[in-house]
Amino acid sequence: MTGDDLGALLARRSPGHWELYRKTAETREIDASPALERAAWRREAGWAARWWEAGAPRFAAASDADGLALALPEAARLTVAAGEPPAWPAKKKSLDGAAAVEPPPALFEDLLRAVAAASRGEAVLAGLTLRRGRAEERIVNAAGLDVAQEHRVFDGVARCVARRPGRAREVRLPFRWESAPETETLARRLADAATLPLSDRPTPFSSGQWLLDPAVGAALLAAIAPLFLDGKPPRWVVREKLAGPAVSIVDDASRDAAFDGEGVASRRMLLVEHGTLAGRLHDLSSARRTGATSTGHGVRPSFRLPPQLGPRRLFFETASPSSSAALLAGVTKGLFASALTAPLRVDLPADRYEAEFTGVSIVGGRAQGPVAGARARGRVSELLRRIAGLSTDLQFFPAPFLAGSPTVYVERASFD
Amino acid sequence: MNWDDDSILRWLEPLGGREGDLAEVFGETLTETSLEWRDGEIREARVRREQGTSARWRRGRSEQFASVAGADEAAVREAVRALRASAGREPLPIRAARGATPDAETEAGFPAAERTARRLAAILGRHAPRHAFTLRLRQTERRVVATGRPTASATRRLFSLEGRFTAVSRAGDEQRLFAFHAPMSDEALDELKTALADAAAPRDRAVPVPAGEADAILAGGCAAVLFHEILGHPLEADAGVSPLRALPEARVAVADLEVIDDARRLDLFGGYERDDEGTVPRPVKLVASGLVGSQLTDRAHAPAAGSTGHGRRSGPAEPPLPRGANVVVSGGATDPEEMLRRLGNGIWIDEFLGGSVEIASGSFRLRFPRARRVRRGRFADELGPGVLAGELLPTLEAIEPALGREVRAYRGLGWCARAGQVVPVGGAAPDLIIRRLGVRPEL
Repeated sequence: MTGDDLGALLARRSPGHWELYRKTAETREIDASPALERAAWRREAGWAARWWEAGAPRFAAASDADGLALALPEAARLTVAAGEPPAWPAKKKSLDGAAAVEPPPALFEDLLRAVAAASRGEAVLAGLTLRRGRAEERIVNAAGLDVAQEHRVFDGVARCVARRPGRAREVRLPFRWESAPETETLARRLADAATLPLSDRPTPFSSGQWLLDPAVGAALLAAIAPLFLDGKPPRWVVREKLAGPAVSIVDDASRDAAFDGEGVASRRMLLVEHGTLAGRLHDLSSARRTGATSTGHGVRPSFRLPPQLGPRRLFFETASPSSSAALLAGVTKGLFASALTAPLRVDLPADRYEAEFTGVSIVGGRAQGPVAGARARGRVSELLRRIAGLSTDLQFFPAPFLAGSPTVYVERASFD
Repeated sequence: MNWDDDSILRWLEPLGGREGDLAEVFGETLTETSLEWRDGEIREARVRREQGTSARWRRGRSEQFASVAGADEAAVREAVRALRASAGREPLPIRAARGATPDAETEAGFPAAERTARRLAAILGRHAPRHAFTLRLRQTERRVVATGRPTASATRRLFSLEGRFTAVSRAGDEQRLFAFHAPMSDEALDELKTALADAAAPRDRAVPVPAGEADAILAGGCAAVLFHEILGHPLEADAGVSPLRALPEARVAVADLEVIDDARRLDLFGGYERDDEGTVPRPVKLVASGLVGSQLTDRAHAPAAGSTGHGRRSGPAEPPLPRGANVVVSGGATDPEEMLRRLGNGIWIDEFLGGSVEIASGSFRLRFPRARRVRRGRFADELGPGVLAGELLPTLEAIEPALGREVRAYRGLGWCARAGQVVPVGGAAPDLIIRRLGVRPEL
């Protein structure tokens, strides 16, 4: 069974309304800890088909073409409610030859030393998994689309434990590097997240300015991402006043891949412009429902799932960035959130958020001391409107899509 | 899987030369049907058919791992070839593959999908006609060929329903979350019917959970989630230093408390006959008569007694880790009314949405969607969603000796994620009382 055979099978089942996806991937991974040194090599292959049969959507996935051919009739056998197929894109682009995957560098010892230095010996690196990989995708559909593209990834997870008498803290940070390893930044982040909660010092303020580390800012952005997707926005959303005037929010994955998971070209989407809601993201299905066109945001987290609407590379942007030092200097009394200590919780329909974090108290632009744990909570709408400054230190984090944020300055927040 | 085990063992032979070396090939065939239900209709049907193979070689603290798509002879050869190359052994010659012969059962897909969908439609129509659920029916066949051990294979069929429905309540329509995970059987669907009917029962309007410390009854078997977090994870052999590790065989709870991890309980979601290294599992006492028990081990972390049969993986692309399976707590002699009377004032919880534990400190959190206030031994207000939080050792110490008479399987406990690997887990527990737990309302 070949891709052409599968295309023919799908065309017979669903003339004009099918899509076939193929992915092959190779990854090399090093998993290092004091107890283990593992080198892993993986070759993944996946096929997926989406088609409309008897007026209803179907999806099947398999690890080989023969398996997919068996899965098609099984998915077609079940009675499914009718649904309209999308308007399929048509484009052609082939893939040039690609280089093999190099193993990731052995960085455990370097990071171990860097964490020890950044934490003044209080934190110990417990494990580091580093992964390098490449994936090739090809998407064809009934409208004549035939595009191929390649992705590369260099990411990992680091675990760190800090101890003081009678207290301990373990953190696990996933990260993604765009090019070269950023060991020092990762070490500082690990050291702060592991050691600050051990200070036993509660927040000295019940309100004040709130400075968010890029990792915390990215978590906030990821949590509010559903505002830019399909469906009716919550009632509290006022288009012209969604965020502070310094804030723009963009999704642009064109540097990662030329196409989304449905073969639609990637492009820059301005979602919030100077605080005003300016756009929303669409995949083929949401575009058909709303009469819009796809913005190239049909995301395939895996070949095992059909494409679904989602952000791809979402980040804060500003026309007037400040340096991190300038933002810090602007804090008369407040907290710097260095790391979250629990997943950030957001209830968008109810306009509520709650962030538990560890960090540092600041008075007059100067750090006063660690804060083991604090909680900021309130209305999402107010939080977004109170963002008064963004820094230049934009960094991206897996969320699991890429969410990017610089240091964020919030002019007022409540803490407990 | 149509494997020639003798050939595979020959290919692995150069890797298993020393005492303690571990060389194995693992294969999996997976068939999964997922149905997206909305208000009585299936809106989307997905079928997944996957095969994968991996090979692993471990010597001391060094491990090589290779995984490939497919589970035929060619896939096994490719995985072993990669392993031998990375281990510096003579590469396996490349030879044309024999054609794979899919098993009859595998070709038939998930046999129960259509019948299950019909029964589920009737159950949902009666008890929760307005809903958004995802049903997953998964069948896995796994095979392990390892040097120095008999070949092992095992098949599991799982039923997993998760989502939300609209309940008609005294306070008007309300959205309720519901999850039910069980091994696939006709009895599981009967049990689902009862569980869904209970979950859809009318309730009073909920008031927010008061923040602070509270005594609590964990009812309906949901205490299994607590012990999964505070005993199961810290006692996984690769878990690192936890408060329990520092106290081997120390008394941490009342003598009445017996908690085991029992993968042999095939009626629970996490059960299996062989683990993913081919070991027959044995029950492990996590707390025995109130004393800290043993660790859950795989082959790589096994002491002289050998693996406890808890080497588990989410699939062929991942190496096994020591993981818990089914947490089972022994029952006592107290009936539910007596439990309420002993509690006096506090909260009663019979459902958790999920939990987490930080191993190093032993601090944990459990999210619950609802609770009942108990005043003077009687049910009072309906309470809204909240979070239970505490520390491992003080929480174990705060368990009352009065344990409920009936041990109930908790079907809300289903998929557990650790280190990026998701495996099915289950549990069963009696009602129990814990004093002075931290409680606060959920957002």
